[in-house]
Amino acid sequence: MVNQTIKLGDGLRQDCDSIAAVKAGTLRFSKPNKYWVESSHKRYVPCVGDTVLGIVVDSKMDNFLVDIKGPTLALLPVLAFEGGTRRNIPKFEAGTLLYARVIKTNAGMNTELSCTDERGKAAEFGRLKDGYMFESSTGSARMLLSSPTCPVLEALGKKLSFEIAVGLNGRVWVNADAPSTIILVSNAIKASESLSATQQRIMVEKLIQRIE
Amino acid sequence: MEIDRADGRQPNQLRPLSCSHNFLNRAHGSARWSHGDTTVIAAVYGPKSGKKTNENPKKASVEVVWKPNTGHIGRDEKEYEIVVKRTLESICLLTVNPSTTVSVILQVVDDDGGLLPCAINAACAALVDAGIPLKHLAVSICCGLTESGFVVLDPTKSEEQSLQAFTYLVFPNSFRSVLPGSPLSVEIGPFENGIITSTTHGVMSVENYLFCIERGRSASAALSEFLRKSLTKWNESNS
Repeated sequence: MVNQTIKLGDGLRQDCDSIAAVKAGTLRFSKPNKYWVESSHKRYVPCVGDTVLGIVVDSKMDNFLVDIKGPTLALLPVLAFEGGTRRNIPKFEAGTLLYARVIKTNAGMNTELSCTDERGKAAEFGRLKDGYMFESSTGSARMLLSSPTCPVLEALGKKLSFEIAVGLNGRVWVNADAPSTIILVSNAIKASESLSATQQRIMVEKLIQRIE
Repeated sequence: MEIDRADGRQPNQLRPLSCSHNFLNRAHGSARWSHGDTTVIAAVYGPKSGKKTNENPKKASVEVVWKPNTGHIGRDEKEYEIVVKRTLESICLLTVNPSTTVSVILQVVDDDGGLLPCAINAACAALVDAGIPLKHLAVSICCGLTESGFVVLDPTKSEEQSLQAFTYLVFPNSFRSVLPGSPLSVEIGPFENGIITSTTHGVMSVENYLFCIERGRSASAALSEFLRKSLTKWNESNS
C-alpha cells in the first residue's frame, strides 16, 4: 500500500497504528480517500450537514432544546432562522416538529442545529405543520433520500400526491390532503424497509389497488 | 479418559447455540441468546443523556438491570448486575459519548445452567444491535470441575449442582484484519492471553483453574465464530 492520507468516517477508530471498526456494519469507500462503516440503527449519531427532524422539548433564553434521537439533546439558537432578530423570536411549544440542519457536533457538547441553509435562507427548514410523523431506522431514512428516487416513493408518487420530509435521524413526516392518503403512504414506507426494489413496487401497487 | 455426561456430550462440547437480533420494537437494541435450554433476552436503550451523580462525567456509564424469571430481586441478581456492568464497561468505548447512559436490561427466560455467560453473550449482541461503539466483542463460557477431577464445558443445571467447582469466563473475541481492495479477510488470531472477566464458585486448585481457562479460551473461538456469523446475517438483513 502506498503512503496515503485517508479519512475515517463513522464507525472507524484509529488506535495508534491500526484502524479498528467500532460498530457492526458494511465497510464503504468513497473516492478519493474516505472510509466508513454503514449500519442501520434506531438511534442517530449526529453528523455535520445532515438534515434532521427534531421535536422541541424546552426553550431556554438563547436556544431551543430539541430531541433528535441522538446521545444528547440538540440546541437550536433562537436566532437561527431567516431574518431572525431578537424582536421576532418564534414561539415553539414543547412537542413542535422542526426540520433543521446539523451545524456543529463535538464530543461532549450538545449538537447545534440551524433552521437556515448555508446562505441564510429559510429553504423549507422550520416548523412542519399538520401531517403525520413516524419513526424509522437510520438506514431506512437513507434509502428514502437516495438518488435516483427510492422505488417506493417513485411508485407512490405516480398515483398519489403528498408531501414528505425525511430526517436522517430516523424520522419521517408525511402530509397530504386526505387522511387516507397519509395513512397509505406511511404504511407503505414502514413496510418497505426490508423489501427489495421490485418487492416495494409490487407492494405499493397492491395498496393502491385496494383504495381504487 | 472419557466421562459420561447426562446428555451424551463430550467434555469439550458446547450445547446448541442460537441468537436472534432486533426483535423488540421499543428497545434500541435487543438480542436473545440461548445455550441449549438456557435463554436470556437483553434489551439495550441508549445512549441517553443524563447520568448518576457520582459517575465520571468524562465517560459514558453503563447501567444493568437483571430480571430473574421467577421470584424477587435478591442478592444474587445484584451480584450478576455488578459483574455484567463491569464486563460491559470494559468492552464499550466510554469516551465517545461522555455524560450519557446506556441501559442494559437482562430478562432470564429459562435457566438451565450457565446463566451468567448466556446473559453476557446476549448483552454483547444487543449492544452491537443498538450501535453502541465497542472496542471488541466479548464471548462468555462456563467451565466446571467435576468430582472426579475432569473439566467440562457449558454444564447444564443438573451437572452444575454436582460439580465440585465452576467458573464463568469472558474472553475478547478474535480479531480479523481486512485490507481495503482485497475481498479476503485474514485472521490475526485471538488476543494472546486476554481475559475480561472470571468468576468462580466452589474450590478448585490453581492447575485446574488454569486448565479451565485454557479450555474456555479454545471454546471461545467457536463462540466468536458463531457470533460473527449471526451478526453477518443481521447486517445483510439490515442493508
